[in-house]
Amino acid sequence: MKKILIVEDHLDIRKLLKMTLEFDDFEIHEASTGDAGWVLAQEIHPDIVLLDVMMPGSLTGLDVCRRIKSDPNMRHTKVIMLTARVQASDREMGMAAGADDYLMKPFSTLQVLEKIYRLEATL
Amino acid sequence: MTSGAQPASFPAPGAEARCFDEAAVRQMELFVRDFGRMYRERNDALREVTRAHHAALLQLSMVAELKDDDTGVHIVRIGYLAEALALKLGQTAGYARMLRKAAPMHDIGKIGIPDQVLKKPGPLTPEERQVMNRHAAMGAEILGRSHNIPVFRMAAEVAATHHERWDGTGYPAGLSDEAIPLSGRITAVVDFFDALTMDRVYRPAFSVDTALQMLASERGRAFDPAVVDVFLLHRAEIDALRIRVSQERPSFDDLIDWS
Repeated sequence: MKKILIVEDHLDIRKLLKMTLEFDDFEIHEASTGDAGWVLAQEIHPDIVLLDVMMPGSLTGLDVCRRIKSDPNMRHTKVIMLTARVQASDREMGMAAGADDYLMKPFSTLQVLEKIYRLEATL
Repeated sequence: MTSGAQPASFPAPGAEARCFDEAAVRQMELFVRDFGRMYRERNDALREVTRAHHAALLQLSMVAELKDDDTGVHIVRIGYLAEALALKLGQTAGYARMLRKAAPMHDIGKIGIPDQVLKKPGPLTPEERQVMNRHAAMGAEILGRSHNIPVFRMAAEVAATHHERWDGTGYPAGLSDEAIPLSGRITAVVDFFDALTMDRVYRPAFSVDTALQMLASERGRAFDPAVVDVFLLHRAEIDALRIRVSQERPSFDDLIDWS
């Protein structure tokens, strides 16, 4: 079973994401800040991380992405950045931080699954 | 399974950022839950239909095979050997698995070849050869009708290209080199090797060594040199798999379901 980590500060969004992932068989982990997400990622070595860009705390989503991508224990880990539609530059910044894909909010339930399946196929 | 990590610094537990009104959230959750149920039911139904369709096409492929051969195990072997070779070539497990499920149908078009051509004991006349060669395109057409399902799309590709040759003198399109899809290049090699190492009505099986020599001599002519090289490098393992599949005779269900 693939391990997915959701790092998102909004409780409601996190819950909707989690419910979407429950359509399929995934092992789901959650964190509500970049700092907590980074700690959890180092512990569980997730296969896929859904990572919000803007979060409170000392680490933004981009920081967490860069750290995951430079951690030798998480070479297999794929990162999908969650960005708000208004922040068009988020995509470029996400890609520069090593993100594998990105999702615009509000997200489509099917798109979340499709992106995950696509990344999963490369694992 | 869920491990809810508490926020490290901000906001404090219980004071997490909320986007929506409580009633709206509850309603949204119900929508998502219902949608999830429909999604799963739809996927289960689709899987079941695909499975039944796949099984029927494998049966049809076996019938096509039985028309010019006395055993159906050849096509199952093609699947497993193609999967093994794809993995050795560095393809993903997903690609290799799909090829295992797709490659056995490569000769399904033989169902449309008249028996007097398909079962003719001696060499074929040029006209008969032309009729015979139509099986590639016919197979691609049969399988291509289900092109919206990835495994049948790949199967159609294999059927269409398994008689193309690396040097460009194959049929039906005369493709050469990497213009021939990898799935077709792999299937051509395993089909060649497996056909040589089995008894035919008109000749006994060649020895494995002879078959390997014949394979090597087609390197860069009929077959992709890289595919032949990897096959030869792993010949012992691949031949052991060939023997194991012949002995264990996996069913079509094994072929389709086993991941």
